[in-house]
Amino acid sequence: MSQTITPDRLLEERGETRQLDAFVVAATYDRAGTCAFALGDGSLRLVSRDWMPVAAHTGAALTLAADSRPAGWITGGDDGRFLRIAADGTVSEIASFGMKWVEHVAAHPDGRGVLACAVGKSVHVFDSAGTKLKTVLHPSSVTGLVFDTKGKRFAASHYGGASVWFVASKTDNPRKLEWKGSHIGVAMSPDADCVVTAMQENSLHGWRLSDGQHMRMTGYPAKTLALSFTKNGKWLASSGADSVVLWPFHGGGPMGKPPTELAGGDGVTCTMVAAHPTHDAIAAGFADGLVVMADINSARILPVAAPGRGPISALAWNPDGTRLAFGTETGFAAVVDFSKRS
Amino acid sequence: MSDATTEPQNKLVPVTVLTGYLGAGKTTLLNRILTENHGRKYAVIINEFGELGVDNDLVVDTDEEVFEMNNGCICCTVRGDLIRIVGGLMKRSDKFDGIIVETTGLANPAPVAQTFFVDEDVRAKVKLDAIITVVDAKHLQARLNDSLEAEDQIAFADVIVLNKMDLVTPAEAAEVEAAIRKINKFAKIHHATKSNVPIAELMDQGAFDLNRVLAHTPDFLTDDEHEHNDDIASMSFSLENPIDPERFNAWIGALLAEQGQNLLRTKGILSYIGENRRFAFQAVHMIADGDFIGPWKDGDPRTSRLVFIGRNLNRPQLRRGFESCQAA
Repeated sequence: MSQTITPDRLLEERGETRQLDAFVVAATYDRAGTCAFALGDGSLRLVSRDWMPVAAHTGAALTLAADSRPAGWITGGDDGRFLRIAADGTVSEIASFGMKWVEHVAAHPDGRGVLACAVGKSVHVFDSAGTKLKTVLHPSSVTGLVFDTKGKRFAASHYGGASVWFVASKTDNPRKLEWKGSHIGVAMSPDADCVVTAMQENSLHGWRLSDGQHMRMTGYPAKTLALSFTKNGKWLASSGADSVVLWPFHGGGPMGKPPTELAGGDGVTCTMVAAHPTHDAIAAGFADGLVVMADINSARILPVAAPGRGPISALAWNPDGTRLAFGTETGFAAVVDFSKRS
Repeated sequence: MSDATTEPQNKLVPVTVLTGYLGAGKTTLLNRILTENHGRKYAVIINEFGELGVDNDLVVDTDEEVFEMNNGCICCTVRGDLIRIVGGLMKRSDKFDGIIVETTGLANPAPVAQTFFVDEDVRAKVKLDAIITVVDAKHLQARLNDSLEAEDQIAFADVIVLNKMDLVTPAEAAEVEAAIRKINKFAKIHHATKSNVPIAELMDQGAFDLNRVLAHTPDFLTDDEHEHNDDIASMSFSLENPIDPERFNAWIGALLAEQGQNLLRTKGILSYIGENRRFAFQAVHMIADGDFIGPWKDGDPRTSRLVFIGRNLNRPQLRRGFESCQAA
């Protein structure tokens, strides 16, 4: 007997869902593998505590990341606060920046752990205890922030390119990666050799740090809001087209190579992508609410959630790749369990 | 490529741009908007917070960051910070009735206005409602004499608050108003003392209603001026016959590409052949935007109107060009 997988079957059989009635800004798993959603009403929802709401920001939460500590998260909001949320929901303020928005946060557990937040043109770096280590300045407002895989450096995107800084250095001279235009997001390859930014003009740009080579990745009909390298660094998945656009990064970079496109053809923009933590697979969310998982090598597409619940605005895998969390602009949030059932 | 998520026109949050020199009364006006009990909530984006003195959830402090678009055109600039801020504001659960963007005294309003035409994500959520310029009646002439920015701010305005009327005599007021009209024939002018224009008269202008505006200026329609100097002038044209949209797009596209730097604002309400709905067109320099708006009223003449505010405007050439857009 043949089985048709209806688009919502995985969601129905393996999903935990809520209608939260606020813009889902982010979904992130902490280092313990626990899921939280950050919302436009300023709250977090902790999934494993029955989706317990945690009041965090007075306006909207703008950014969410796993804490450098073994559990919990860090957030930034339009109320100027950089917060730490413990696993039990306790909120503590790491720093406050008055009227300036905290638009990006990032953390890394290696070494003694490090936290960072982007506020206007500055990136502020703290140790795991929340003590400020330093502040570094950029030519214009920071639009994206990411640590490299080892936590030794971080990159910030801004107008004119990106800046790469050493976490531990005493004198701060960034490696300046320059390309004219407005860069609106940043990613680093797992081998820390490539920095890729998304641009206002619907394209990606990249630099290979070892020799300064530029990469241009163009052809997108819309802006790329999500960039995700696969763990082995072979592929960079990106949103902003009506398919999942994958640039080949094996062999030193995508220069002169065409991208692979998966899960496209419906004329609906892909808004979010998240590379699976271990397999060559990508989760993708679309402007009509569709969520799929795409296997890169076989090009097989597995529907996860049907369209109709609002544009996908958040998407994340748990660290071992057994759960996928996603949320939409109109407040639908879900966690789907992909683990093997006995 | 079409999205299932296009917002219907009437759900877009209106954006009002507030400009004017320091001291003209912008801050007084903003304070009123934020504190008066007019039943509306506005998010305000400013970069001189110290001036404002009102602390409010809805006030956003920004660094004005003007970027050239990466298309080689030097007048195609946008406010990158506004793109990010509008994106952030639209994520909030707390809804607001509109967004007000205040620009600093010497700022050119063009990048702000262009931002709302150019970014797809911004266009999906908000719409430029009006550019309001606050003008100091006592000192405008001096400002016009010493800077091009003062002239630009008046040229770009949809609404002008002619403030500090208590400091000028009726004769002086008439002179100032004439100086304004020479630059911009089409903006609505409100006289004010201490910026006391009713807020309702400034917000929700519905972008602009050219028919209403032009109803007051019929005498300029037959003017045959041919401006050669650097002064800003305003010209309007009308056609009684329906327009061929392809001809119009070709003509206006070429015109804006060629003369975009000189054309500060272009606005039109057009009757397309075979179309019941009015087409509202507007451009800031080269950057254009157009939408269908409500239908022509039964019995009303379907007169297409187009206005230009800019430098070195060639009236006969513009009129011939507009006339060539008529449907065959």
